[in-house]
Amino acid sequence: MRASPEGPSADGLIWGLQRRLLVLLFLPLGLVGLASVYFHYQSAGTAALQQDQQLLRLVPMLADSVVVTLPRDAPRPIDLDVDPGLALLLAPPVDEFLKEREGYAGYGVMDANGRLLVGDRWLPTVLPTTEDAEFLSVVESGITYRVVAQRSPTAAGELIIMLADGSDGRQQWLDTVLLRVVLPNLLLMLVAAVAVTWAVSRALRPLIDLKEAVERRSPRDLSPIDAESAPAEVRPLVSSLNRLFSLVNDQTQAQRRFVADAAHQLRTPLAGLQAQVEAWSQAARSMGGAEQLSLRVEQVHRLRDATRRTSQLANQLLALSRADSVSADTHPMEQVDLQELCENILALYLDAAADKQMDLGIEGAPAQTRGHTWLLRELLINIVDNAIKYTPPGGRITLRCGQELTAEPPQAWIEVEDDGPGIADDERQRVLERFYRLHGTQAEGNGLGLAIADEIARSHHTQLQLLTGGNGRGLRVRVVFEAVRAGGRPVRESPEG
Amino acid sequence: MRLLLVEDDLMVASGIKLGLSNAGYTVDWVGSAERAEHALDKDSFDLAIVDIGLPGVNGLELTQRLRARGLTIPVLILTARDALHDRVQGLDLGADDYMLKPFELPELLARLRALLRRSQAATTAVLSLGPLEMDTALRRVSLAGQPMEVGPREWTVLEYLLLQAPKPAAKDKLLAALTGWDKEITPNAIEVYVSRLRAKLEPAGVALRSIRGFGYRLELVPPPAHAREP
Repeated sequence: MRASPEGPSADGLIWGLQRRLLVLLFLPLGLVGLASVYFHYQSAGTAALQQDQQLLRLVPMLADSVVVTLPRDAPRPIDLDVDPGLALLLAPPVDEFLKEREGYAGYGVMDANGRLLVGDRWLPTVLPTTEDAEFLSVVESGITYRVVAQRSPTAAGELIIMLADGSDGRQQWLDTVLLRVVLPNLLLMLVAAVAVTWAVSRALRPLIDLKEAVERRSPRDLSPIDAESAPAEVRPLVSSLNRLFSLVNDQTQAQRRFVADAAHQLRTPLAGLQAQVEAWSQAARSMGGAEQLSLRVEQVHRLRDATRRTSQLANQLLALSRADSVSADTHPMEQVDLQELCENILALYLDAAADKQMDLGIEGAPAQTRGHTWLLRELLINIVDNAIKYTPPGGRITLRCGQELTAEPPQAWIEVEDDGPGIADDERQRVLERFYRLHGTQAEGNGLGLAIADEIARSHHTQLQLLTGGNGRGLRVRVVFEAVRAGGRPVRESPEG
Repeated sequence: MRLLLVEDDLMVASGIKLGLSNAGYTVDWVGSAERAEHALDKDSFDLAIVDIGLPGVNGLELTQRLRARGLTIPVLILTARDALHDRVQGLDLGADDYMLKPFELPELLARLRALLRRSQAATTAVLSLGPLEMDTALRRVSLAGQPMEVGPREWTVLEYLLLQAPKPAAKDKLLAALTGWDKEITPNAIEVYVSRLRAKLEPAGVALRSIRGFGYRLELVPPPAHAREP
């Protein structure tokens, strides 16, 4: 019964919820971040391509800028180190390009052997084998240059033209992406993580409070939890819990009362037994060494009756506890032939009836219901036992059963009628209470028979009806069940006479 | 009649033994399944009363072992647990009947008589109830040792009643048993055979009681001393 103070399952529940919420929120957030980085990176690639294309566009213009300075009849070969014999008259776009990137750009014109004729000396020697342009990245004094080299026809013949752009677009874009996309994304996720964690724990607070409130309870404290202070979402859970509490509370109290009652009731026959046996034991002591103890027949019979009563009480208590456990619907119901049941009980009580010169008979018609056979048997036994016990010798007891299939819902019923003293109207409700015994009853009973029968009836969703017998005398106990049709079986003829 | 009582509880065992001895049975009492098997090997018994809750090998296992060895001795199981499961199991494993503890001695005696009668009928073709004996092989009925004359339809009625005893026989079943003789037999006709039989049986202390709404039952009229007991 006792819940451990640190319920791992409850903690696990809250943790699980928190974790699930976090995962569910972070997964899409992370995906969005990744997608954004990817698209930005893609656009960076496009930027780099645009830079390459710009460089490529400028190469022919630079080639056109080459002008020959030496006269046509100058002595050959020319000493290139002294005067390459050519100069650059930069085309306006190239000039603009270089001016725009003052300190971040360079150019060079080389002869076919890679010897620099005009331009920046740091440029690497590149010898493109074909007419196609070659691109490369060069790092010079901390600046990454994008360099293009291409063989181009110029006024001074075919030369290698090189242009370098230090304002590396790709790098710039990468920097931009890092700074403007990845970093904010990371920051956003970090903030989101904190916010989500806070929000989730904040949102789950009522649940955690509820868990703690339930945990703090002692098994005896089954008072309802305050549903008003709980948020609307948790209120159904709280009211379900409260309903369960009250059910368990009722059952626990009923059980406690029952155990106390049962113990008290067992005391009576046990006291009788004990008194008798103690008396003999005392007599034996006072008789000294005698081996034999003589008993009066009447004493033995009294002892036997007390014993039988104790046994019966134990059986009845067991039946009651069973009826209780079955109300929890742990066992499946089955089809019960009420006529067969009545006939079996009739056979069981023929001797008892004969002992009291009673006329025990049956007026049976086919009747079928669904229920627990052994419990219904117990029900009928208790009613018939009651009738035989409280009806004076020579009386008449009749078991009846039948069904009305036209009724809505179809009814199957059993009845036990006697012509005994009956039960007054104002006592009829009370005799169904456990341990209640009618005033002035002679027969020894435990006051449980009808209570058990009623309990079993209730576990079959019906109840005992206490009516007056025929001719205004005696008691007629009737239980009406819901009828079911016999599954494909022909309806039996009822025995006559 | 010699009975074997297998019960480990001293109080219960001595009570049963005393009760059965007073009723004229010879009772051998053992406290465990092993001793029971030993006793059954050595001597022959007419019936065994076996408690389920024996130490070691329990009563159900003992019954199963006996049946596995081909012993047909009737077994009456005693049990304090009346869950449906136990009942079904007990009868499935070869027990012939069971009784719930605690029980009243008269009921135990009645069950024993019924069991013994059934096992005798199976072997000797003789149905009996107190002074009434019916030899189904020789088609002879005797009452207190004297031959009793019965007509063919009376025979059918009496045989069915004896087979059912001590349970009551349903009137419609009796009717069904008789239709072999007459196509058109009425419930009133049964009344005729029953009252004829009743007149013959009653002087010897065998009553044929009408059960209102159900049928008839053969009963032994208890001796006067017994009848006074509450």
